[in-house]
Amino acid sequence: MFADRYDPLQDEMVSILTPDGCCDETLRPDLDDEQIRTMYRQMLTMRLYDRKAVSMQRQGRFGTYAQMEGQEACMAASTYPLEPRDWIVSSYRETGAMWMHGVPLKLLSLYWMGNEFGSHMPDGVNVLPVSIPVGSHPLHAVGLAYAGKYRQDGSVAVTYFGDGATSEGDVHEAMNLAGVYEAPCVFFCQNNQYAISVPVREQTASPTIAQKALAYGFPGVLVDGNDIMAVYAVMQEAVERARRGGGPSLIEAYTYRLGAHTTADDPTKYRDDAEVEFWRSRDPLLRVQKYLHARGAWSEDWEHELLEACTGEVEQAMNDAEAVPQPPPQDMFRYMFAEPSAALREQEAALLAALQVQQKG
Amino acid sequence: MPVEAPSAEKLLDMYARMWRIRLFEEQAEYQSSQGKVMGALHTYIGEEGVAVPACAHLQDTDYITSTHRGHGHCIAKGADISRMMAELFGRSTGYCKGKGGSMHIADFQVGMLGANGIVAGGFGIATGAGLAAQLRGSGQVAVCFFGDGAANRGPFHENINIGAVWKLPVVYVCENNQFAQWTPQKDVTLVTDIANMSPAYGIPGVQVDGMDPLAVYEAAGEAIARARRGEGPTLLECKTYRFHGHNFGDPQQYRTREEIAEWSDNRDPIKQLAAHMRDAGILSDEQDADIQNTVQEEITAAVRFAESSPYPTPDELYKDVYSYDIG
Repeated sequence: MFADRYDPLQDEMVSILTPDGCCDETLRPDLDDEQIRTMYRQMLTMRLYDRKAVSMQRQGRFGTYAQMEGQEACMAASTYPLEPRDWIVSSYRETGAMWMHGVPLKLLSLYWMGNEFGSHMPDGVNVLPVSIPVGSHPLHAVGLAYAGKYRQDGSVAVTYFGDGATSEGDVHEAMNLAGVYEAPCVFFCQNNQYAISVPVREQTASPTIAQKALAYGFPGVLVDGNDIMAVYAVMQEAVERARRGGGPSLIEAYTYRLGAHTTADDPTKYRDDAEVEFWRSRDPLLRVQKYLHARGAWSEDWEHELLEACTGEVEQAMNDAEAVPQPPPQDMFRYMFAEPSAALREQEAALLAALQVQQKG
Repeated sequence: MPVEAPSAEKLLDMYARMWRIRLFEEQAEYQSSQGKVMGALHTYIGEEGVAVPACAHLQDTDYITSTHRGHGHCIAKGADISRMMAELFGRSTGYCKGKGGSMHIADFQVGMLGANGIVAGGFGIATGAGLAAQLRGSGQVAVCFFGDGAANRGPFHENINIGAVWKLPVVYVCENNQFAQWTPQKDVTLVTDIANMSPAYGIPGVQVDGMDPLAVYEAAGEAIARARRGEGPTLLECKTYRFHGHNFGDPQQYRTREEIAEWSDNRDPIKQLAAHMRDAGILSDEQDADIQNTVQEEITAAVRFAESSPYPTPDELYKDVYSYDIG
């Protein structure tokens, strides 16, 4: 059990695959080369999607977009142990995790283009829409987890949030509730070390985020978030624990966002290039590549093949999303309530009247 | 740094304050039963051993924030019991001119920033007071009293977190009386000890027997001194018990008479302090009777003051809500 052996109070971090691609054989999880290759492909798709998304925003074809470059291992490995019946409740930097759990890239693109239907999840895909208010959604995950426990359907809810969200009161209330109700919930914190521009040492006085679990009476584990094997192993343990009725866990995945907070942010204002370069050397994709290469499971030809295939997949998704017609402006009133309120109906009428005046003018 | 033991004078003062709370609350309950008190009443009986020894380390310039169960904090910090009683009676001579009632008593002159009807409502105010003190470099300290139920609320988390990051001179004192209204603590929090939540904030967590005034005096003294030295907050949990219901009229079906008797008969903080003072030769029977009689007279005078004071007039209704007049 990682939760027993790694004490966050002692700053002990689970690490299996080192930055130079060496694997700690004593801790190796049950992942064969083919699975690692699959995860590598998934991480590469996320990276390509992310870069394309930034480019789309710069061209005015995407709205403000939250980048995830550098955090691909967190998302690929943490979703890998999940089953379709499990839930994902995420923040805005988890496009990759949502995709891993079944949300098509086309839909995700639609969301970032500002179309409400980007949040209309396909049937059977247990993913909640992106939650923008920081720290608001872990409560929803606890609700889903508790519902799963009540229905005895064996599902687990996983919620993703950042280091900044851990200072939010709602996250405290969510973890407390999950602890006392033994809800099958996994709290997955991607500590990318900055809440926009606020460094984590100015965010909280606790040396690790994992140790915050002590306040709620469940395990907290610190894991190298750029290490797919460690994230997978720790996540698998937490998911199994939740599924067999053992209650929630908190996972702190120590990682780094290589890009900006969003396309509306300039990170050079608050961090220096040397720091970014250091983390480039700890790129989660690079270490998997080194690992596979050493085992004869990676070649340049395969890499080119992958790049081509994944780029095609990303381009296709973006094109498909752009082909969806723009919704009419009054659509914005439609999906807040099952029955629109009188105030909303009034606002809709006012908007339509204004649009008519504009057309005549 | 060890906390100096309280002097005989200090102990006598603490003892009188604890009686002042006890007798004030008993009188308030009686007056409530007579229909004289407006609104809900939450008494501090049984918890006197927390607020009094904690506030014994504070000056009038230091701050406290309180809860819905605020009379004890007011009295411990030196508020005027006549104006308190008048407020309970809804009279214009009360602290809020008779318009706030039991849960809104504040006295800025003695650093009492207010009782609060909102569970966990005091955290932001205490933390803000601590920030103000830090910015002014005044050496003031803020003590935030709250209950076990409030520990599950977001403001607990957000304020202790930022108080810890900024090393604010605030002491967060949990009066763990084991019930959030009617709900036992174990039903709403997985950890038994609130003090054990402190690693989440990287600050010391200290647990103390809240029925033992001397133990609270020492632990609070250390935490307050630490805050004053600029070393940041402490989470101090005082295990305590309210002898009466959550509010006056609470049928208390969630606990047994035996449990209540176990605490009130054997662990009463006033009795414990009296026993200590007698052993130390500080308190004679005569002195004890004198203290209680004097306090009783104060309470009687407070009731007389309240009863003889006028009610606010209807045109006062919209006044004092905002700094400007909206009436």
